[in-house]
Amino acid sequence: MFALTTLVAVSFSIGSFRIEESQRPFLYAVLLWIILVFSALSGLSRSFVKEQESGTMDILKLSARPQAVFLGKLFFNLSMLGVLELIIVPAFILLMGYKIKFPGCFVAMMVTGGLGLGAGTTLVAAMIAQANARGALFSALSFPLLLPLIITAIKGSERAAYGISAAGWPEVKIAAAYAIIMVTVSLLLFPLIWEE
Amino acid sequence: MGRIKVMIYKILLAIWMNLIIAAVFLYVEPAAGFPGEVSRILFFHVPMAWVATLAFLLSMIASSVYLITRKVSADFLAQSSAELGFLFCFLATVTGSIFAKATWGSFWNWDPRETSIVMLLMIYGAYFVLRSAVPDHEKRRVFAGVYSILAFCTVPFLVFIVPRITSSLHPEDTLNPAGPGMDMKTLIFFLGSLCAYTALFVWMLRLKVRMLRIMDNEQGVKFKI
Repeated sequence: MFALTTLVAVSFSIGSFRIEESQRPFLYAVLLWIILVFSALSGLSRSFVKEQESGTMDILKLSARPQAVFLGKLFFNLSMLGVLELIIVPAFILLMGYKIKFPGCFVAMMVTGGLGLGAGTTLVAAMIAQANARGALFSALSFPLLLPLIITAIKGSERAAYGISAAGWPEVKIAAAYAIIMVTVSLLLFPLIWEE
Repeated sequence: MGRIKVMIYKILLAIWMNLIIAAVFLYVEPAAGFPGEVSRILFFHVPMAWVATLAFLLSMIASSVYLITRKVSADFLAQSSAELGFLFCFLATVTGSIFAKATWGSFWNWDPRETSIVMLLMIYGAYFVLRSAVPDHEKRRVFAGVYSILAFCTVPFLVFIVPRITSSLHPEDTLNPAGPGMDMKTLIFFLGSLCAYTALFVWMLRLKVRMLRIMDNEQGVKFKI
């Protein structure tokens, strides 16, 4: 819901003709990722808080291995992000008249960017579920972790949309590497948090 | 260390730092290729950045040691080191910004180096926020350790990968672009300054760890009453 509201507000106030042709590649990539990241964060922060609030945390701790819980939460977050991107990205392209030169590269950037978002935040979500001031804490903790990914993703989608050759691939690789590193480290560290 | 040894250490450190500061302003010539006296900031900015890096690395290692052994003293070290690292990182940012104004014409223009140092400040800012948000002692230590390791894994992206994509204006060892790096005199005083700042960091770290230990003891006493 937040995602759609932002998208409508952005496209209503900017439209597809307010921005000059030369400025578009950069600004569109930035806008798209701002919408994606903010709408993703509001959902991602809830993944473990839900368990805590409904009191099912302890049962989960007793009945499942930590790695299984983590992977389950990760896949839930990733599928949520997938659905979010499926709605937002086509709508953004239609509303803003976003022309993409290299669709394959653009799709790959979206997929790896989404993977990175999910991978980088799941562990943080598990931590804030056990702390005070959850909502504010979640964004304070995850922004520094996500910033390298977001910078890369913005660059990558900009290049995929308007680049000279299919030059967005290095960014796709960086985002994929980020996702893999974060998942591996989180898998190793998660049991420490879970068993507290 | 006994009290007298610490005293000697402090006095030597004070003399050493004063000597270095006086020497770099009065004895060493400013490097060629930079306007005016600008290059003297080398003797302050680089050691600060070095100490910040060292402190964050130490903090990360101490956090890992805590997570493995669960010894509280390792967490004291991690926390103190992170706080001091933050201080030196901030100072490096400020001195770097002054240098940027003097040579590139603006205090801030999102050079990759500036981006990565801001990221570091944000990461450790978040680290302190996390520490203050978890009420339980044991849990706070574990979470802080986990977060600092997680954050450390994102640093290579900023330090090595983002600067490759966009070009940087930051001088590397290009203080004399044509010459063989620094001349001998500059190098000696640069290393001297590096040692002085590292020694200063060690002293501050010891103080900070001792302070945390005393505070922790006091809380324990209150608990017992």
